[in-house]
Order: sequence, then C-alpha cells, then structure tokens
Amino acid sequence: MPFDWMKIPYSLLTLFIVVNYGFFLNALIQKMGARAGRRYGIPIWQNYVDMIKNYGLRSSITHGAMFYLGPVFRLSGGVGLLLFVPTIYGSYMFSNLSFAGDLILALYFIFFGTLGMALGAGESGHPHAAIGVSRGLAQVSTAELPFALAVFAVALQYQTLSVTEIVAAQQGGFLQWTLFTNPLAVAAAMLGFLGSMMRPPFDVVIAPQEIPIGPPTEYHSAYLALMQTNRAIFPIAKIVIYMNLFFGGASDWPTFFFKVFLIYLWSAFVGVVFPRFRVEQSIRWFLIWAVPLGILSIILV
Amino acid sequence: MTYIALATGFLLILIGFYGALTNRNLLRMIVAFTIANSGINVVIIAIGYMHGRTAPILDATVSAADALTRVIDPVPQVLVLTAIVIGVGVAALMLVFAYKLYERKGTLDISKFAELKW
Amino acid sequence: MVNAIYIIVAALGAAFLLGLLKSEKRGTAYVITLFALSVMTWISAGWVWAFVMERAAPVDFLTGGTSPPFSINFRMGLPEAVLTLLASLTGLLSALYMKDVLCALGQRAMAVLLVAVMALTGIILTRDLFNLFVFFELAIISTAGLMLLSEDARALAAGFKYLIVSQMLSVFFLIGIIFAYHATGTLNIDGMATASLGLKAGGAIAFFFLFIAVVAELKPFPANGWGLDIYESAHPGFAAIFSAATSSAVIYAVDKLLLIGGAEWLPMATGIGVITFLAANLFALPQTNDRRLLGYSSIAQTGLILAVLGQRDILGDNVLYIAGGLLLSHAIAKAGLNWISGLVAGRELPDWAALRSRPILVFAFVTFIAMLSGLPPFPGFYAKWEMVRILAGEGRIALIGLILLGLLIEAGYLFRWFGYIIKREVPAQSVRCSPFQISAIFVALASGWALGFVWGELSNQYFGHDNLLLAIPVVFALTFLLLDWLPAWVKNSIAIVGLSLFFYLTFSDYDPLRMIFAIIFLIGGAVILLASYDSKGRRIGFYPATMLMFAGLILLIRATDTFGFFAAWELLTIGSYFLILRGKHSEPHALSYIIFSLGGAFLILAGFALAAQGAPLFNIDALAQLTQPLAPWVFLLLAIGFMTKTAAIGLHIWLPGAHSEAETDVSPMVSGILLKAGLFGLIVLLMTMGKQQLYGVELTYVMLWIGALSALLGNLMAIFQEDAKRLLAYSSIGQMGYALFGLALMNHLGWLMALMFVINHYIYKSMLFLSAGGVAKRTGTRDMYRMGGLITLMPLSFIATLIGIIAVSGVPPLSGFGGRWIFYNAIISSEYRLPMVIIFLAGPIAFLYLFRLIHTIFLGQLKDEYRKIKEAPFWFILPQMIYVALLLAFAVAPGVALRRVDTYLNQIFPGGGLQWTGTEISSAYGYWNPVAIMIIIAVIFGTLFAWLLFVNRKAQKVKQFNIVYAAERPYRPETTHFAWNFFAPYRKALGFLVQPFATRFWDGVTNTLHTAADISRRLYNGNGQSYAFHLLSFVVIAYLMRMGA
Repeated sequence: MPFDWMKIPYSLLTLFIVVNYGFFLNALIQKMGARAGRRYGIPIWQNYVDMIKNYGLRSSITHGAMFYLGPVFRLSGGVGLLLFVPTIYGSYMFSNLSFAGDLILALYFIFFGTLGMALGAGESGHPHAAIGVSRGLAQVSTAELPFALAVFAVALQYQTLSVTEIVAAQQGGFLQWTLFTNPLAVAAAMLGFLGSMMRPPFDVVIAPQEIPIGPPTEYHSAYLALMQTNRAIFPIAKIVIYMNLFFGGASDWPTFFFKVFLIYLWSAFVGVVFPRFRVEQSIRWFLIWAVPLGILSIILV
Repeated sequence: MTYIALATGFLLILIGFYGALTNRNLLRMIVAFTIANSGINVVIIAIGYMHGRTAPILDATVSAADALTRVIDPVPQVLVLTAIVIGVGVAALMLVFAYKLYERKGTLDISKFAELKW
Repeated sequence: MVNAIYIIVAALGAAFLLGLLKSEKRGTAYVITLFALSVMTWISAGWVWAFVMERAAPVDFLTGGTSPPFSINFRMGLPEAVLTLLASLTGLLSALYMKDVLCALGQRAMAVLLVAVMALTGIILTRDLFNLFVFFELAIISTAGLMLLSEDARALAAGFKYLIVSQMLSVFFLIGIIFAYHATGTLNIDGMATASLGLKAGGAIAFFFLFIAVVAELKPFPANGWGLDIYESAHPGFAAIFSAATSSAVIYAVDKLLLIGGAEWLPMATGIGVITFLAANLFALPQTNDRRLLGYSSIAQTGLILAVLGQRDILGDNVLYIAGGLLLSHAIAKAGLNWISGLVAGRELPDWAALRSRPILVFAFVTFIAMLSGLPPFPGFYAKWEMVRILAGEGRIALIGLILLGLLIEAGYLFRWFGYIIKREVPAQSVRCSPFQISAIFVALASGWALGFVWGELSNQYFGHDNLLLAIPVVFALTFLLLDWLPAWVKNSIAIVGLSLFFYLTFSDYDPLRMIFAIIFLIGGAVILLASYDSKGRRIGFYPATMLMFAGLILLIRATDTFGFFAAWELLTIGSYFLILRGKHSEPHALSYIIFSLGGAFLILAGFALAAQGAPLFNIDALAQLTQPLAPWVFLLLAIGFMTKTAAIGLHIWLPGAHSEAETDVSPMVSGILLKAGLFGLIVLLMTMGKQQLYGVELTYVMLWIGALSALLGNLMAIFQEDAKRLLAYSSIGQMGYALFGLALMNHLGWLMALMFVINHYIYKSMLFLSAGGVAKRTGTRDMYRMGGLITLMPLSFIATLIGIIAVSGVPPLSGFGGRWIFYNAIISSEYRLPMVIIFLAGPIAFLYLFRLIHTIFLGQLKDEYRKIKEAPFWFILPQMIYVALLLAFAVAPGVALRRVDTYLNQIFPGGGLQWTGTEISSAYGYWNPVAIMIIIAVIFGTLFAWLLFVNRKAQKVKQFNIVYAAERPYRPETTHFAWNFFAPYRKALGFLVQPFATRFWDGVTNTLHTAADISRRLYNGNGQSYAFHLLSFVVIAYLMRMGA
C-alpha cells in the first residue's frame, strides 16, 4: 500500500491545533475551577509560560536511562493516541494516521505513555514517585474498566471496531448519538472518564496541592516540559475518543472545540464539588457504581 | 452317629476358637488351637465315614476285590494323618515362639506384645 | 525340558543335605543353598524359555505313577513357569542378599529358606487341593521360621500373630477341603472344576471356606494386621520373598480356586480386592515407618491384582497380560524396595535420603516406584491402560473410579517418599552394602526395564500399540542415563542438537497447527537449553528428566491414537516432575504437581477408555464420532484432565510453587513449554468433539467461565506476590486462562488468539523467567523488595524484562497487542457476554503486576549489598536476547506464524478468519497494520527522543540519593525503596477475592484423608487376639455378603 506522504504535514497540523487548544483549555478549566472555589486562578497563558520556561532551563540532570526515556514515552503516548484516531469526521486532512489500526489500538495505546512514564519515575528512586505510580495503576485499572466495557458495548452495538464507522453510524441528528441510543454505556464511560482526568475526587495519584508526590516528583526542566506538553495533548486525545464514540464525533473544528470543551468541563464540574477519595475508596466506587452500568450496557446491547 | 461326630467336631472347633479369642495367655491359646485342630480332624473323619463299612485296610477280612464295596473312603483318613502331622508341627513352632517371647518379656500375656501396630 | 518336580526335589534334597552337614561347614552349606536355588531358577527359566520362544504346550507332571484324581499332578504352563521363576529367583537373590545373616545362623536357617521357596513353587505348581493345603502349611511354618532371621526383637511377636491367624485359616481350609471332597469325590482342582462344585449340595459353602482361607493369606482388609507386622519386622531379605514370591504364589492359588468356583465368585474377589486396595493405600498415607509402608503397599497391590482376577469374566484372555503385568511389576518393585530398605540405617522415611550417596540406588528406587504407580514404560502402565479400557467398555465405571483413586493415593505417598530421598538432609549413617546386595537390587532393576520392553512388545503384538521403549525420543532420553558421567555442557550440546535434528527430520509431518507446537517444543526447547550451558559440573539426573519431558511432548503431538497420546502424556508428566523436583525447596510443590498431574492423567485415561468402548485401538480423530449420552462425559473427563495441566482456576494450586521453586533454566521450560501440552490437549479435544451438552449445559460455555475466572484470579493473585518467580507463575495462570477462553469461544478468531497466546506466552514467559532467574542468581533472593535499582548493573536483563512486560501487557507496538486485537475481534462475534466481562476485569490488572515486577527489581533504590553484582551470566542473557529479537520480529510480522494457521483453521471453523492484505490485517470488524504501527511509534518516539537529547544534551547522572526528599537526605535505600506490599490499597479493596479458597479446599481434602487414615489404622492395635478377631469378622462379613448377594 503506497503511503500518502501528505499525511505527515496534515497530522502535524492536527497536532499543532490540538496542542494549542489543550494549553488553552487546561488553563481555562483550571481557572473555572478556581473561580468555583472563590479564587482568582491562573492567567490563561500561564501554561505557555511554564512550558517555555521549562524548555529553557539549563539545569539538567538525569537519574539514568529510563528516567531519560520516561517523558519521551509519555509524550509519544499522547501524540500517538491523538494520531491513531481521526480527529474530524469526514475530513481526509484530519483523519491523521488512523489507517494503522482501529479502536483497539487506541485503547491499548493509552497505556504506552502511562507505562513509560511510570518506568521513568521509578528510576528516579524517589519513593513518592513509586507511591504515586502504585496508586495510579491501582486506580486506573478499575477506572478504565467501565470505559472499556462501554467501548465494547458500542463496538457490539455498531458491529465494528473502526472509529470512523462508529462515527458514521451516529450521523443524522443528535438523537443518533450513542448518548441516546445507548445511554447506559455512555453513563458508564463518563463515570470512568472522571477517574482518568486527575481531578477530584480521583486525584490522589498526583495529589497536586500537597507535598510533592506522584510520578513527576523528580522531573524538571525539559523533562517536565515534555510532560506538560503531554498534559495538553493527552486529555484532548482521550476526549476525542469519547466524542467519537459517544457524542457523534465532530465534522468541523468549531463543533470539535465545543464538544471537547463540554466533555472536559464534566470532569471539572464533578471535581469542584467533591472531595478526594483514597485509592481503595475510588476502586470500590468504580466497581460499585460504574462497572455495573458497563456490564448492563454490554448485556443489553 | 455320623452327625454326632460331626457336631462334636464343630463344637470342638468353636470351643477352640472361643478359647483362642478369650484367653490372653499364649499357652492357653496354643492349647485352644490344638483343640480346634482335633475338632477339624474329627470332622474330616466323620465326613469320610460310611455307615456299615470297615476300616480301609486290606487284610484277611477285606480282599482287594471287594474293597470298593466294603471299606470306607480312605482319603479323608489320609488327610487327617497329614493334618495331624502338620498340626503338631505348627503347635511345636508356636510353643517355641511362646517360649522365646516369655524369655524376652517374662510374660505370656499376648496383649503385652503389641509394639508393632498401626 | 527338565521335569518340573525337580524344582521341588532340588530344594528338598538340598535341605536334607544341609541337615547332614556339620554346623561348622557354613560356607559349604551356603554354597549348597545357592546351588539348589540356582538349579530351581534354571529349571524354571528353561520352562519360561520353552513357553515363550518355542511355544510349548502346558505339561502335566504326575506323581505316584497314576493319573489324577488318584495321584497328585503338577502342571507347568506359562504362568506357572514365570511364577516359579519369580519365586526361585527371588529366593536366590534374597539368599545372596542375606549372606551374612544366613551364614551367622547356620544351615538350619538356610534349610528353612529352601523349604519356604520350595513351598511357594509347590503352591504354584500343584493341581491338588490337599497338596495345596500342605504347601500352604509348609509356607506358613517356614515363614514363621524365617521371621527368626530378623534382628528386630519384635519379629517374634509378629511371627506368633501370624501363626495364630494361620491356625484359624488352616481350620477353614480343611473344612473347605473335606466338604468339597465330599461333594465331588475328588481332590483334583480341575476335577472339581468339571464337577462344578458350586452346584453340589453344600458345595457353595465348602468353596466359601476354601476361598476365604486362601484369600485371607493375601491379607485382605481388615484381616491383615498380622501381615503388616511381618513386613515391618522381618529381615528385608525375607520381606522381599514374602512380598514378591509369597503374594504371587497365593494370588495364583486364588486364581486356581476361582477355576473351581466359577464366575459367581468373581464379584467377591473383586470386592475384597478393591476394598483392600483402597484401604491399604489410604492407611499407608500417614505411615512413617518405611517397611510398614512397603507392607501396606504390598497389601494394596495384591488387592488390586485380586480385583483384576475378579474381572476375568470380561477380561478373558487378557487377564494374563493385565494381572501378569501388575503382578510382575509389583513383585520386582517390592523385592527391590525391600532389599534397598536393608541398606538404609534409619527406619523413618526421610532417612532414605542416605541413598543419594549412590545415584544408582536412587535410580533403582525411582524405577521401582514408577513400576508400582503404573507409569510408562513399565508393564504396570500397559496393564493399567488395557484394564481400564476393557472395564470401561463393559461399563464398570465405579470400579475404574475406585482403582484410579487408589492408584492416585499410592502414587501420592510413593512420590512423597521420593521427594524425601531427593530433598531431605542426608543422615549421618550412610548406606552400607555388600556387592551381593547391590547385585540383587541390580537384577531387579534390570528385569524391571526388561519387562517393560517385553510388555511393550506384547502390547504391540496384541493391541497394535507402539512399544514405548522403541520410540526414538524415549530412547534418546534414556540414552542420557548412560551418558550421565559426561560433563553437563557436552550433554547439553547433545540435547540441543538432538532436539533440532529431530525437528529437521520430522517438520514435514506436521499440519500448521501442530507445527506451532512442534516449533515451541523442539526449537523452543533448544533455545531454553542454551541457558543450561551456565551449569557447571555433571548435573546428574537433569538431562534424562529433561529429555524425557521433551520426548513426551513430541510424542504427544505425533500421537494418532489414544494410547500413544496417553503414554506421551504420562511420560512428559514424569519427566517434568523430576525436573521440578530439582529445585532447592521444591519438595512439596513437586509433590502437589505430580499428584494433580496424575489425577488429571487418570481422568484422561478414563475419558479415553470410555470413548473407546472396548476397542483396543482408538484413533484420536474418532472422538468426533462419539454420540450422546457418552460424548459429553468423555468430553468432561478429558477437559478436566487437560485443564489440570493448564492450571485452570481451582486446579491451579500446584503451579505457583512448582514453577517458582524450579531451577532457573527449568522454570521457563515448565512454564513456557510444558503448559502448552495442556492447551494442545484441549485443542485436540475441541477440534474433534466440538461443543457438547451435559444436562442441557453447554460445556464449552463452562470452560469459557473457567477461562475467564482463571484470567481474573490468576492476574489478581499475581499482583500480591513478593517473590518474582511466583508472580510470573501466577501470571501464567492468568495467561492460560486467556488461551482457554479463546479456545472455548469455539470460533475462528478465538482459536487464532489462543494460538497467538501460545506463541507469545512461550516467548515472553521464558524470557521473563530467565531474566528473573538471572537476577535471583546474582542477588541470592527472589524477594523483589530486597532488590531495586539493578538497571545499571544488569542492563540486558532489564531490557529483556522491559520488552517482556510490554509484550505481556498488550501495549502496542509489541506482539502482545496482536493477541489482544484478535481477542476483541473474536469476542465481538460471540454471544457470551458475561464471561467476557470477567475477562475485561482481568485485563488492566496485568499492568499492576508487570509494573511491580520491573519497578521493584530494576528501578528504585539500589541496595548496598548489591552494589558490586554483575550482569546475569552470558548463557542466561543469550536466549533472552534471542527472545527479544523474536518478539520484535513477531510483532512486525505476525503473519509468518499465523497466516498458515489462519488458513488451516478454515477447515475447522469455515469463514470468520482474517484478511491479510499486504502488511494490513483485517477482520470483519476492524483492521490493524503492525508494520505501520511500529513505524509510526518509532518515528514519534525517535523524534521526541532526539529533541530531548538536544535540549538536555548536558544532562549528567547524579548520585542515588540526590532526590527531592523534603529537603532531607533519605536514610537508607531499604527504607526509601517503595516496594514491599506495593499494592496495599488494592489488597484493601479487592483482597477478599484472593483468599486461598482452592488451597484450603485441597488442603481440607488431603487432611481429611490423612486424619481418616490415621484414625482408622488404629484398628491394627498390635494385639494378636484382635487380629484373630478381625479375621473372624472378615469371614463372617464375607459370608453374609456372599449369601446376601
């Protein structure tokens, strides 16, 4: 099969748009969260400033090869995830590199970055990093479950694993969206979504407001910058999958921006309302509230 | 007559077994078995006995020609002879064992020789 | 041929001659004894030769000049010839063995020995009932006399108890004889048979007394306390005769009597036999005294043979083959074991560890217990197979169940004992033995193997099975026994070349499905064996065991009929057992492995036998033709049997210990390769039998559940392990669960996924086990939390582990992802939603244990004591690097292996396969392009890496404790390395799922058996009077049962 080299600049364009939107959205959501807490919040460009500062920092040390590779894994995971899924439905330009694999590829590629960064964090030798990873893995193993179940319910529903075909099946009015044709699956997936967005009540993994804990503990300068870039891309890439599977996808950029924002907002909305769970609490919570919905959705398809 | 002998024989066997099962003394047990052995011998003889016939000895009174109709079956008697010999042998052996056991422990109580178990 | 009477004449003459000698002439007396026994042996051997080689007809020898019934006649036929040979040879060898004792006690003892052997041959030869009685009494008297040979003072009491019982028996015997004579007018056994004693007035009761008197000599349960005492206290040389020769002779006497009694007495023989077999084996379980244990086992074996004799109505002419096989196996093995017991100083089972100083004795021991357990290639194995086959053909299922249960218990205590020998501390008192004693044992050993060959030939002749001792892989494996003196690396090279060569010679024989297994077994085995180059010295016993396992594996995929399949299955089981047992602490784990495996094997045996419906040769493909109501039961038995090997949940408890305690290069073999045997069995089963329903339950659906639960619980248990190899072992349970699930889906893609798991699991699990083993070798521990930070010291091991865990977890771009992708495509077309959910639960959990594996070993804080350790040995690293290359290659081009299988699977499941267009693979639902994925990820990764290198080009490595630690310096690596109880929150939330329910259940089963046995065996309270009472009750109960029936 001849490879269309134009895919590369197109994909880079998608990447560029998404990175910028991601930086913007991260700050926006954070600011909204702060306002809900009666605080002023960060300036909207703060993330850019941080990133540029971090890339520019000269202090550069390493704890070893895996430490070095961790952020690379992390960002590759985010970028890959984005590029393996078509961003804009019906657009050849923004179908990215989705020819390489289907939904399953995207699902499993989510773990690529997680695993790599966990390894890098591990080599730093910092116990907090290891604790963070341990918590994160423990939580994500159950948080991803309702999502995986929902994804499979959708695949069963449309009898395909191709993201494009799933989106195609949802065209023709919002009542065709999975949200309305299979609400149980969407409910399960949206509960699972909360667990992977690192916001309360499921943010004990990085515990951002307290002592430095979590996988990035030892990361700084360019390493951290790579990870920050990923923090802009990864949520959007993940939301794109949600959007495509459950909310009819997006056939143009404005729809895209709008839907992504709303989906993102959902996690922030829950986040500002609820306090934090301990890990075993969140495991139980997902198993009790979200997983049964997923199971139901699979059985009832 | 045969039945009396037969019954006596079985009675002796039962007495022998009863004695062997109820007496703890080695020597008494041996005696009990001897009684049982005698009983079985009586039984064998009784079975082989045929009414109105004579002993299976060919001599002046019984000629070889009419032996078949006049003497009783000689086989059981032969068997008894052998059984007696064997019985004596076994009884002797048991006595040796009893003697040696007594030598070892100074008792003839069978329940005292139960080191081998389970 | 020499007149058979001379066998008796020789013994009697010599015994008289001994009496004439002066008591100082002990040497002469001993020579005369040996000479007489040799003559007896020679005469018997001549007859065996005549019957076997020249096909002579049985001959009757008359005494007293007239023909029966007026005289006594001896008959010499094939069974008589073999048994007299057995008796006189045992006598001869025991006489050699007991040289010191016999010479010390003088010619009287020798005369008694001669009389004993003579009496036994008499029992075998005579056809006269009263003569039989006389020989019995002679045997009893001489037995009691020989008891006095023992150094054990307690033997006196045992002899007396024996005499008490035999007094009662002779009374019964005589009553029986006289009434039988009265009824039929003859004492000749054949005469009585033709006169049909049972139909005469009082005939039945007469026969009952005869029968019971002789059967009681076989020490039936519960009237056998006296026999045990004899076994325990007799001189081992005599115990060998008592066990091997006396039992055989009495068994034959029972056989002769059954001729008189006819078919109606057969059920009673079976009943007594099987109850004795079970009870004796059960009581042997808590036994700690070696000789008493052997006694229990002897009693059990004779019970089994009695049960077989009781089945002669359906076994027909095969009874000679079956009972003979069991009897000779038992006789040789017991004679040998009793002889060995005389060389061991201590009387507790663990004292036998002393044998380790003489490997030939260990080999002899293992040969003997294999013979007793009915393992290939010994006669007992062939006998077991034919017996179960015929019984199943006639529908005697309950009997099969009881016999197999008994065999399993017996194998349990025998292999436990073997475990003691191999693993327990060698006691201070070593083995002491004379050349005579060794040669006696050696003769038993040689005849065991020779008989294995003979039975193999017979099996080939009569039933068309292959002689196992002629199969090339088995011969190759056994050759290593002779080569064991060579250094390990030479043997290793021979093994690798042998495996590869065999593959080269046979690879055209396999269909694509079998090809995958052939490659994994042969080539895969050769690759793992590379790691064995690391072992120095001679590595005694390793190669025969390994190659036996591989022989079994390869014969398994080459088997076409059920016999070949089952024989291969047992071979690989034994081989792998020896292999697992080699681990330092693997004694209990190897035991539970062999018990589970043999239990599974017995189920397979029963399944095959049930399927064959009596047909001697049953093709595996013919399983497909089975119909209701038989088919689901066959399916069930076979499926459980195979799932024992794949360690399906519930039957899994043997696996973690067995795999983790094994030696470093053994773990990958038993995990990466051996587990596939179970999957192969399941594939064969499902391919031929397909879906089966039992009481309306779809059995493949049940398997689906079992697979899913295995995957979930296996993974879940893995995450809580502190021991690296245990973690990997539990992970295997999960992985096998996936494969089982795929097979049970019964569709094209499900199978493809299972095969993908077969390949993947072989590669990454072998690699991970080697890697973990290498680390454990360097650090001296397998506890992961004691390690940490080894990445810089063992970078290659780290790379192997890294690639391995990425592959296991299914993250793209490595080959594990292919497995997952096919898996999703397979289940999307499946109707079974609920088990699918369980599998979903299992998926992410794998990440947890995998991360833990790599993190706690290689990342985190390096400990002080390991600062100077080196990379794992070269020979461990080499296969790992090969696996890394294989994984990458398989990730990019899975089609190389899978495409042909995919096409092949169309024969079984038409349609539903994959499309292979260029580099893209697509199904009805989705698509996947491994090459593109690999390139894209490589490009992104490479670009970012280059960017980081550019930005951080001046990065320099800092010291270990240079971390942000709340402005403090960490105290010690031990307290800073977060590793122990890594997933504590997970345990809090889901720990209730991993309570050891299965372990508790099986522990409960074994404990119950042990306790029940321990309480029940107190029946044998040691009091001779109680034994007499037992005998009387046995007679009464037998009588009531008989009359009631």
